[in-house]
Amino acid sequence: MNYDFTEKEFTFFVQLHELMQAFTSANDPEKEDTAAIGQTTRGALAKLAETPYLSLGITPQKDLGLLSLMGAMEVLAALSPSLFLSVEMSTRVFGRSIQTWGNADQKAKWLTPLLAGKLVGAVALSEDALNVENEPLKTTGVKNGDSVVINGNKQYVVNGPIADWLAVAGMLDGKPALFLVEKNTKGLVLENRMATLGYEGTAMAGLRLADCTIPASQVLIPAQGQASLGLLRMWENQVILGASLGLMKAALEAAKNYAKTHKSGGRPVIAYQEVGFKLSEMLTLVQTSQLFAYRAAWIASDNPKEAESMTLCAKVFCTESAEQVASNALQILAGAGFMSGNVAERAYRCAKYGQIAGTSTEIARVKIGDESLGARLS
Amino acid sequence: MDFAFTKEQLMFKKEVIRFAKKEIVPRVQEHDLNKEFDFESFRKLGEFGILGLHFPEELGGGGADVITTVLAGEALGEAGVDGGLTLALGAHTFLCADTLFRHATDAQRKKYIPKLASGEWIGCMGLTEPDAGSDVASMKTTAEKKGDKYVLNGSKIFITNGPIADVAVIYAKTSPELKHAGISAFIVEKGTPGFSSGPNIIKMGVRTSQTSELFLNNCEVPAENLLGKEGDGFNMSMQTVEWDRSALLAPFVGASTYMLKRCAEYAKGREQFGRSIGQFQAIKHKLANIRIFGEAARSLVYRIAWCKDQGRPLNHLEAAVAKLFVGDWSMAPANDAVVLHGGYGYCHEYDMERIFRDSRLAPIGGGTSDIQKMIISKLM
Repeated sequence: MNYDFTEKEFTFFVQLHELMQAFTSANDPEKEDTAAIGQTTRGALAKLAETPYLSLGITPQKDLGLLSLMGAMEVLAALSPSLFLSVEMSTRVFGRSIQTWGNADQKAKWLTPLLAGKLVGAVALSEDALNVENEPLKTTGVKNGDSVVINGNKQYVVNGPIADWLAVAGMLDGKPALFLVEKNTKGLVLENRMATLGYEGTAMAGLRLADCTIPASQVLIPAQGQASLGLLRMWENQVILGASLGLMKAALEAAKNYAKTHKSGGRPVIAYQEVGFKLSEMLTLVQTSQLFAYRAAWIASDNPKEAESMTLCAKVFCTESAEQVASNALQILAGAGFMSGNVAERAYRCAKYGQIAGTSTEIARVKIGDESLGARLS
Repeated sequence: MDFAFTKEQLMFKKEVIRFAKKEIVPRVQEHDLNKEFDFESFRKLGEFGILGLHFPEELGGGGADVITTVLAGEALGEAGVDGGLTLALGAHTFLCADTLFRHATDAQRKKYIPKLASGEWIGCMGLTEPDAGSDVASMKTTAEKKGDKYVLNGSKIFITNGPIADVAVIYAKTSPELKHAGISAFIVEKGTPGFSSGPNIIKMGVRTSQTSELFLNNCEVPAENLLGKEGDGFNMSMQTVEWDRSALLAPFVGASTYMLKRCAEYAKGREQFGRSIGQFQAIKHKLANIRIFGEAARSLVYRIAWCKDQGRPLNHLEAAVAKLFVGDWSMAPANDAVVLHGGYGYCHEYDMERIFRDSRLAPIGGGTSDIQKMIISKLM
């Protein structure tokens, strides 16, 4: 047992923070303009490629593993939730798909530029509803010689409008497959970018595939079959865990600093129990969430069979805590918290995404309950 | 970071669960109903080695590390042992015996620790007073030095094991004009003239633990019964916080696992509307919440234990966070467990109502949740 990060991890977190704080100060990653989002995401990926960040969880790194990744995610998400989500959906979800299911040629084509920070990826999974747990995928690929013709609709594709390549989940010969579609491919139609409650600096859109034809070499066939969709969801869930930690960290910090400096009746407001006790509850949720998420990450590397269950438990707790912490931070910041662009206000809006995206908290609770009743997950 | 227990620790935990299920749990409900202390179970805890787990073997202890000691507490909760017995164990081993182990003379250690580790003697600790709860420094009990004796006067309240203890660690003011710095700690044995206890106080939960007032009426103890030096008492009482935030919280974590198992069994067996109630999402929701609480609390508790094993000074912020979380956040899953059992959950036959009552102590005992929030906000 050991409850400390290693010195190497600490050093990495500090370097990452300094590097990306400088970057986010010079390039506002929360801008809503799609072109600016694409430019900022590419700039951030290039910077991150100078560190081990992009490779974590994808290719083995000496002394840095999945737990280090969770700590690093927290650092980046605290600086900019939108940039974090763009980077992670590209690197960790798209990248892990290639790493896990791609052959050597496919890895050379997509993974190498991705880890060099030169490629933006997206994964298109959700269809009519945000969750795919209870419905088979309707998007289908049909073989036609050396090509595959894809038809279907996708929703809520993070990075859809800025991605160079999209991994589209669908069915091929009755089995799940990921179709790798390059932007501007004929038959790929990106719908208008969605306006969202939070993460406004992340570009999200639906897409349609109408007789979209790709070479068969651009198809990934997951060996796990249907379970591969669960794996994709788990990677998303891990990203959302990192996002939740970052949102909480930033919101708590802003509220704490304000409570220490803003005075009422001649005393800093933290001295009043209505404020000080709120901060105490927030800190308790933050520390509990951190340990929960770290433990889930540790289990993912130490005992992958248990990873889904613990990740779901952590996701429910951390995402709901994030909303509560952000809400209380906004309350403490009072008028300042209600102003757009404020850290707490932004965290409050973003926090809701975590409870909906990936495995929703409702489906997660059903799965956890099923497991308690003796069912095996996945 | 590494959250793994060693194989030996996990094996020991299994052994404790097996032992407790066989030797203790069958009597839990009856003793809870009768509000009686289970002396037989306490003696068996001593025989198994749990009462003195972390003390050196030469003093009758098990020589275990802190994590193993905390695991034993979790295992008792997981086996279904009631909160009253685990509270009695906590007051005995950590609040009384550990304070003696740390601060008594060698001769006193040899006299008391083996008896306490075996369960031959029961220990308690007297700190709280009718008008001095969280505000310890306002205590009124005094200890006046007269020759080679101290004369103690005052009263204590809410003392776990008070009516049944053979030896007590009593905190009293040797310098009443001082606040914290005026507090000292004394060993007071049962039968000492002027030392008596009140009747068992009937409580909402943890009913098998015996709680009472202690009275000190011109109670004379030898000067060597002063632990450490005059004025050291407050710091001694604070040192028990490390155990309070780990070993005493661990049974609540274990109880959540027990609740989850019992609730799942019930949900699978109970049929309504033609199907087991476990098939209803509302029931799964409750099961999930119980599981999530246990998983969330576990790491907080073991972080305190691990730091103690590393020889680090207590991080008061992390300790308060652990106490606050287990205290305040354990209420909802305990409530869920009762509701999931419906009418049966409200009846003593099913032990969910007992666990619900036992859990209610978590945000009160050993420093209320409000006190934890005061500590956290000050340290922030």
